[in-house]
Amino acid sequence: MKQTFGTIAVKTTMLIIAALLLFAPFLFQDIRALEVAARICIFIVLVASYDLLIGYTGIVSFAHTMFFGFGAYGAAIALKQMGPGWDALALGTVAGVLVSLVVAAAIGLISLRVKAIFFAMITLATASVALVLASQLSQLTGGEDGITYRTPDIFKTATKLMVDDDGKVVRWFGVKLNGKLAAYYFVFATSLTLFLVLLRITVSPLGTVLKAIRENEMRAEAMGYRVVAYRTFVFCLAAVVASLAGSVYAVWLKYTGPDTALSFNIMIDILLMVVIGGMGTMWGAVVGAVLMVMAQYYLRDLMGAASEALHGIPLLPELLAPDRWLFWLGIIFILLVYFFPKGIVGTLMLKGART
Amino acid sequence: MSQAIFMLQPSLTTTDLTIRFGGHVAVNKVSCNFHPGETTVIVGPNGAGKTTYFNLISGQLAASAGSIHKGDLDLTRMSPSTRAKNGIGRAFQLTNLFPQLTVLENIRLAVQARSGAGWGLFRPVDSLTALKTGAQKYLEAAQLTDKGSMTAAALPHGDQRKLEVALLMAMEPDIYMFDEPTAGMSLDQAPAVLELIAQIKSDPTKTVLLVEHKMDVVRALADRIIVLHNGELLADGAPDEVMSSQIVRDVYLGAATEETA
Repeated sequence: MKQTFGTIAVKTTMLIIAALLLFAPFLFQDIRALEVAARICIFIVLVASYDLLIGYTGIVSFAHTMFFGFGAYGAAIALKQMGPGWDALALGTVAGVLVSLVVAAAIGLISLRVKAIFFAMITLATASVALVLASQLSQLTGGEDGITYRTPDIFKTATKLMVDDDGKVVRWFGVKLNGKLAAYYFVFATSLTLFLVLLRITVSPLGTVLKAIRENEMRAEAMGYRVVAYRTFVFCLAAVVASLAGSVYAVWLKYTGPDTALSFNIMIDILLMVVIGGMGTMWGAVVGAVLMVMAQYYLRDLMGAASEALHGIPLLPELLAPDRWLFWLGIIFILLVYFFPKGIVGTLMLKGART
Repeated sequence: MSQAIFMLQPSLTTTDLTIRFGGHVAVNKVSCNFHPGETTVIVGPNGAGKTTYFNLISGQLAASAGSIHKGDLDLTRMSPSTRAKNGIGRAFQLTNLFPQLTVLENIRLAVQARSGAGWGLFRPVDSLTALKTGAQKYLEAAQLTDKGSMTAAALPHGDQRKLEVALLMAMEPDIYMFDEPTAGMSLDQAPAVLELIAQIKSDPTKTVLLVEHKMDVVRALADRIIVLHNGELLADGAPDEVMSSQIVRDVYLGAATEETA
């Protein structure tokens, strides 16, 4: 691809986001900001794996949160039942991946032959079943309350990674080198690795086949590509990545419940992020996740401040009251879709490129 | 010429090939042999079942009865992708490309399908030189070299038809099936596509099947003509013989003069 204004802008943005996430604990020294950064890392992977389905291959699935949930619950249940060890974490993660793999393969082989709309419905139904199961099997999953558990010791906030002569935790640039920092970098490193793997896949021969299936399924088949096999494979692959992201998120949160790992709200978030960022670009996942998570955490604060500032003026403070944040998020979303029909990254990439 | 051809083993055989859509029999017991080194043009009025017959051979439609063999290999129940892997190459009547992919990517997909590299997961496709040079070769053959980085959708219609043929060539099949390869092309564009087909035709190991309406194209390329009418095989033979037979004139040529006009 030629270097156009758009691609340069996208690349620069990526470098800035990567740098901000890499140094997040040092740049934003409060707990909430670190929470946001970790959530961004996880959602980049989750959205990128979903982009592989919807953007690259043209598969619409509503079960992506379910696979995320399998990974999260796998790790959570193992850590709860076996205690906070690496063995429990590994076992839980592998179990989550295996369940995801089996369920994805089953859904794929049974229903990727049928029309896209039926496939979407089947994933919706399966995801609903998973949600019901998670709340019904309360002995294992904690039901609606979810599960709280401890993670390996290195991730405990009280853990000192380095101590000085007085036995106090060492600070770098004012940041305590404690378990929280280790946990963040665990999240960052695994997310980065998974994202790079996904990125690599999109430029591989397989990636081209996926795009070909999206573009013209019948011709791909006539050329000798077994479309059902490729679709099932990529569905399984995305499921495994989502599951791994779920396990990592479970480690970070030290809590897993329907709201954090399985609910349809997360599915809607993923869809919004992929649309805002731009489908079929991978970089779109990054932009979408960053904007959406930031909005979820900070739009309320921003509106609260704006409402305060406009105190005394009629109507405006009411309109900007923090409780209306979802309304404004909706408006922002509509504007984004209107001005960036192919998502922010998708539209930028086309800027200056020939049509 | 035709004597020598019929001595050879047929490369493709359809036996009593039939497909019914409800009560309508679109292709009715068509038995025909095709031979390497031979270009067979399938003619017939609209709705005669030509494209349906093609879809049965390449697998987009499943036969209601009868069979399709490539040599000794029974293709009848195979999926289109398995047939493609076994050397059946099909180009389509309406341009049927991957519109948002570049011209080079389109061709590379065909090269890649043959090489089996489609499951390659981790090496960037740009680093696979075998695929690249393979694709480059057909890009040049189709005279699209300077348009390799354009998306297929952005090509002018004539170039899209050339790309369609290039995709088929890049698959390197044994059986080439063209469905009106010059449809919608202007008079000055058509020769480029016909030249490509002539190039394929010059290889004595390849079997070429061609659906075509335009009489000048038929005359230029056909070694043999078969006529389909209402899904049935009406005539089969050397071009002159078929074109001059009264029955063909009755059902076909009347319609053809309207269409080529």
